Amino acid sequence: MVKMKKLDLMTENEFQLISVKDAVVDFVKESGIQNGVVFIITAHTTSSIMVNENLKCLYTDIEATLEQMIPTVHDYAHSHFLPSYGATGGNAPGHLKSMLCGNHAVFPIQDGEIQCGMAQDIFFAEFDGPQMRHYFIQVQGE
Amino acid sequence: MSMVIDMHVHPGFYEKISEDKEEIAFRKKEMGWDLMSTFPVELTRTQMKFAGVDKLVLLPLDLTTKQGGCVVTNEEIRKMVDIAPDLFYGFASVDPRREDAAEVLDHAFRDLKLMGLKLNPSKQEFYPSDPIMDKIYKKCLEYNKPILFHAGMSWDTDCLMKYARPLEFESVAVRYPELRMCLAHFGWPWIFETAAMILKYPNVYADTAMLYMDSPEQFFSDVFTRQLGRLWVDNNLADKIMFGSNNPRFRTARIKRGLESIDWRPETKEKILGGNAMKFLNLEEKCNG
Repeated sequence: MVKMKKLDLMTENEFQLISVKDAVVDFVKESGIQNGVVFIITAHTTSSIMVNENLKCLYTDIEATLEQMIPTVHDYAHSHFLPSYGATGGNAPGHLKSMLCGNHAVFPIQDGEIQCGMAQDIFFAEFDGPQMRHYFIQVQGE
Repeated sequence: MSMVIDMHVHPGFYEKISEDKEEIAFRKKEMGWDLMSTFPVELTRTQMKFAGVDKLVLLPLDLTTKQGGCVVTNEEIRKMVDIAPDLFYGFASVDPRREDAAEVLDHAFRDLKLMGLKLNPSKQEFYPSDPIMDKIYKKCLEYNKPILFHAGMSWDTDCLMKYARPLEFESVAVRYPELRMCLAHFGWPWIFETAAMILKYPNVYADTAMLYMDSPEQFFSDVFTRQLGRLWVDNNLADKIMFGSNNPRFRTARIKRGLESIDWRPETKEKILGGNAMKFLNLEEKCNG
């Protein structure tokens, strides 16, 4: 059995980590699936789904480390006029951060419960905000 | 500290005025906004808060005689201002070739209370010095409303850049010295003509809504500190340049970030980010008195 839900959120900053764990836990329960896996998947190319500990100091370190690796201003080839958008690509760093952090996370489900480690939170990671964003929760199992 | 005002915003995808799919298709075709999509005003509010911007100046474009429609009407601009008066100032537009152009402006300024006029010589196919424009300029003077002209390059294939070279506006600046006008996009690529115009004529301003080809930081640094001399803006042009983004083509926050990265004096940045717009929009007296 497969069950899926699409969720919306509005981000408020260029870089932002938003916990979506409660929504995932709730949908796993709602799905009725007892044993299987749950996927959390972003619908975009300048955001990610990230698993980490929910500490403000780690937010700071994650942002600073990504900025150090992928600076906001750099000689990006993507920064040119894109006729298909009618705009100059201004979000190359968002694309590259998304590539590094990945588009999804996956967790096991056992006896109807998501199996997370004690420190594990699930984040929608914004790298190109503020924007309207969407992500999917898909539960597969029986 | 002055308000921070983005002088150049096209509200083509605001949900409250984007319910008609045919209208959206028309806007996309006319403006080359192919892959963009609609969004709620709450996102605009959030983006402005993130950017540290107080007001957006919303610009429509009347293409009635050439294309049979408007890229956002004057009434839709009024509607957006009414929905969020804390966020928006509204401009009007009129197709100068409309027989009822003067009446359209009377309605826009007198009834809709719009704050200025947006014209695009390239898209609307007129030279600024064409005699058909005199009735438009006189109407703006009658209501003490400024004009924001598209100037410089046009991306669209169906409009010619020759109509919007900065020097084409010179005779208008001379004949109507009380008419405040802005050469949008800094007249790029004719930035030296624009610099001369805003240096010479007290009634001529320019905005920063340039089509950058790298990043806002790199582009503004090239234009304002290398192509133009390093001190030209600080020492000569600081009172005549206004922050404009050309949103949604370019994000307000990124253009502001690029301008803030330039090594200008703090008072120059304050003028460019909002102080000059207050003068241009005739808000100084209202705020001070």
